[in-house]
Amino acid sequence: MMRTVEVLLVIFLLGAVYVTTSSYINLPSPSSVSPVDLNQLAYTTLQELDSRYDLSSAAFQTNNLTAWGNLQIALAASLPPNMVYNLTVYNVNTASNGAPLYSSVASISNAANLVSSDASSYLEASSNVTYISTPQQISTNGVPVTLYILDCSDTNGWWTTGYTPSSLAQTVYSLLSPYFKTTIMVQNTSQLNQLLNGQSLQGGSVNNAVIINTCGEAVPIPTNFSSSSGLNYTQGWDPLANGGQGSYAMYDYTLGKITQLYNWTWVSIVGYPFYYVTNTGSLSNSQNNFGIYGMNMVEGYGLSAFLEGLDNQPYSYTGSSTGSPGVVYLTSQVQSLCNYYGLYPSISQTSTRALPASITTQYNLVVTNSLFSTTSPYNPGAVYRHLNGTNYQGGFFALGMARIPDIRLAALGILCDYQPARYGSLYTAAGSNRLVVLQLGIVGGG
Amino acid sequence: MSGVSIDHLVSIVVLFVAVLLFIGLFNQTLSVGVDYQRNTSTAKECGDLLDTMLLTTGIPPQGAPNAFGLQDPLLTQYQLSPFSLMRLDSSTETPVSYQGLTYSAITTSPHNYLLYPYTDMINYSTALALLGINGTYGFQLSLTPTVNVSIAQTSPSTGPLSLSMHVTGTGFPLAYADVNYLLIPVLLNTNYPDFETIANQTGTVETNSVGSASIAFSNFSLNPNWTYAFVAYAYLDGITGIGYYEPQSSPVGNQSSIVPFLDPLSTKDVTLANSYDVPPTSTKGNILYYNTTFILESQNYAIQETLLGSSNSSGSVTSGTGNSPIISMGSYTPGILVIAYDNSGNSGVVMMPWGFSSLGFSMTFGGTPLNHGWVATDLRQVQINGVSYQAKLSLWSVQGYQESG
Repeated sequence: MMRTVEVLLVIFLLGAVYVTTSSYINLPSPSSVSPVDLNQLAYTTLQELDSRYDLSSAAFQTNNLTAWGNLQIALAASLPPNMVYNLTVYNVNTASNGAPLYSSVASISNAANLVSSDASSYLEASSNVTYISTPQQISTNGVPVTLYILDCSDTNGWWTTGYTPSSLAQTVYSLLSPYFKTTIMVQNTSQLNQLLNGQSLQGGSVNNAVIINTCGEAVPIPTNFSSSSGLNYTQGWDPLANGGQGSYAMYDYTLGKITQLYNWTWVSIVGYPFYYVTNTGSLSNSQNNFGIYGMNMVEGYGLSAFLEGLDNQPYSYTGSSTGSPGVVYLTSQVQSLCNYYGLYPSISQTSTRALPASITTQYNLVVTNSLFSTTSPYNPGAVYRHLNGTNYQGGFFALGMARIPDIRLAALGILCDYQPARYGSLYTAAGSNRLVVLQLGIVGGG
Repeated sequence: MSGVSIDHLVSIVVLFVAVLLFIGLFNQTLSVGVDYQRNTSTAKECGDLLDTMLLTTGIPPQGAPNAFGLQDPLLTQYQLSPFSLMRLDSSTETPVSYQGLTYSAITTSPHNYLLYPYTDMINYSTALALLGINGTYGFQLSLTPTVNVSIAQTSPSTGPLSLSMHVTGTGFPLAYADVNYLLIPVLLNTNYPDFETIANQTGTVETNSVGSASIAFSNFSLNPNWTYAFVAYAYLDGITGIGYYEPQSSPVGNQSSIVPFLDPLSTKDVTLANSYDVPPTSTKGNILYYNTTFILESQNYAIQETLLGSSNSSGSVTSGTGNSPIISMGSYTPGILVIAYDNSGNSGVVMMPWGFSSLGFSMTFGGTPLNHGWVATDLRQVQINGVSYQAKLSLWSVQGYQESG
């Protein structure tokens, strides 16, 4: 009997050990076993709120109720409904001993307290000292300049080998549109006709505009200028030119006049400017000797006619010439601006259609920006402004590169000429940093 | 038998039974602890894998991937490539067959598709191998827009067009958000549908306190000769969503429509098919005359219509093999391909995203978590071409152990 009692005692002890052990072992809740990583969720939420610098802006405008209200709405909308949060902004100062001092500036929350929560922080620098990607918008005398990109569906390109005018237009749109208040894709030659008649497109400004022709050596011509029944046919067609066979050089002359009238900057992205005119509708039976239809060859007469128009000279059917300096190099100033604008075309390019420097005296032009080191007597790529007295009236940016066009050069040339400013960085400025802490918790499970 | 012997036998039997019982009890406690460790390990792996997928590049628009990474190679942090995502095989939609090829489908309505050929897809088994978890874990990745922009036509079928919008986030309505919109009117009674330009077709409205807004186009009236497409971007403090609307084909019935099939991304081509061939039917569908345009969004949220510049940007589609025009998207610029079609009243508009996020589609990729004992989940906020998404990963072990209990 004694052994049975001893065994019962052992069983009792084992039971006591089990009960004691079980009471100490508290298995964690499911949310603890597999928690949502609140730290990373908070971090990615802060990143998202700051993706367009709105969080940074609100962090430095804690008295702006609208900005803080919007921030709270965006925060609540982006988080799952069972999340509680507390977003606090701290001012970062430096104590006398050099240690950072954090003082709470403002806070928003949807809960009295956050138990079982996690937090992430984000250091924001003031827009006064932050390098931000929102650039200054290009303007002339304080008036925003409109960028028109010729993306005409009823045209063909020449010397744009490998690209369609439309694909070039989309690329240049993405490169340059942040620098312009308004960027307009001119979708067909009818819209170009409106523009040539001084009618605004989609609210853009006609005066002082920049016009980028993405058709290469060809220039879009509206039916009004190219068809014998068109209202502006006499401004597009010179019946006496070319030994009586006629020429569309007159259209290029008209373009020059309009460029001067509205103070446009006309951009030719590659090759010999104005060498062809193109319209796949009205010129559908016309080709450029290479089997590309919708294209009519004007040859070098187009360039001289445009420059005559730009200088308000009388029209004459005169030839022009270009040079082939070969390999040319971006100037050191332009290379420096490549870093500034984040555009990195090759510093060496091949130029086979460079304009002669003599056009500056012949047509009252001033080179306001030269992309390449001058290879006398040619300018491989330069922005020319027409001098009207002491003022500039009309401009022309010609890139005499060999095909295939690098559209970044066109964007770079415009940026180097207008040089829109960007904010600099000054991270050491006092009171320029604020710490944003987002604390997240889960209610109702998780 | 003596009393001592009986006492000895009883005590031995009782002790043996008691030991067995306590071994079971202690074993259960230990098993729960081991399960806890395994599940915690799975949960940690889930977060790590999700970050691996979202913070590395790897799936290019063309060619074989060198890793299962979705990050946009041109950007940093949690910003995903809209074109890498197009190559993922959706696990929730039924595949579609067309002219001998099978296409993975992501569809939000009978008119809006993202159909990608299996021959160029990244499937689940490839993803497991690229991630190095084949035979260890299974996963399901889902990408859902953070902001839902629902749009409805509030005007009758004739008269000036008016639309209502409701913008909600995952948690609450997106109140006082700016909404940029673009209306594309389509004139139908011409050889090919014609995209028209009208005054005030673009603009901005603000949602009210419950995330609603309405737009009226007094200069655009509906009648049988017109249809339209409408796209809107809603944004507030970095949170961005996209919505779209096109009227249903009229009259509803067994009418043909156009189905755009993506060719492998490297070609940048889209094949247009007649819906009567998807799947093929004995009935021949109407010839449909179509026209296309392209919508892109700029960095400042402005929406702009532009041209494709493709040789087949307008034309006709008939049912039957060899009658499928191919249009080229030209570049890897994300946007929306808008296709309007018409023939004798059989008309409509179809939209296809060029870049996964352009129409705010959601997608689920991977295996199914059903019948797996423990599934860990984790969540991140991401951006895909500026549109806000939530990426959720579900992860489970496939090594065959079972939960105790």
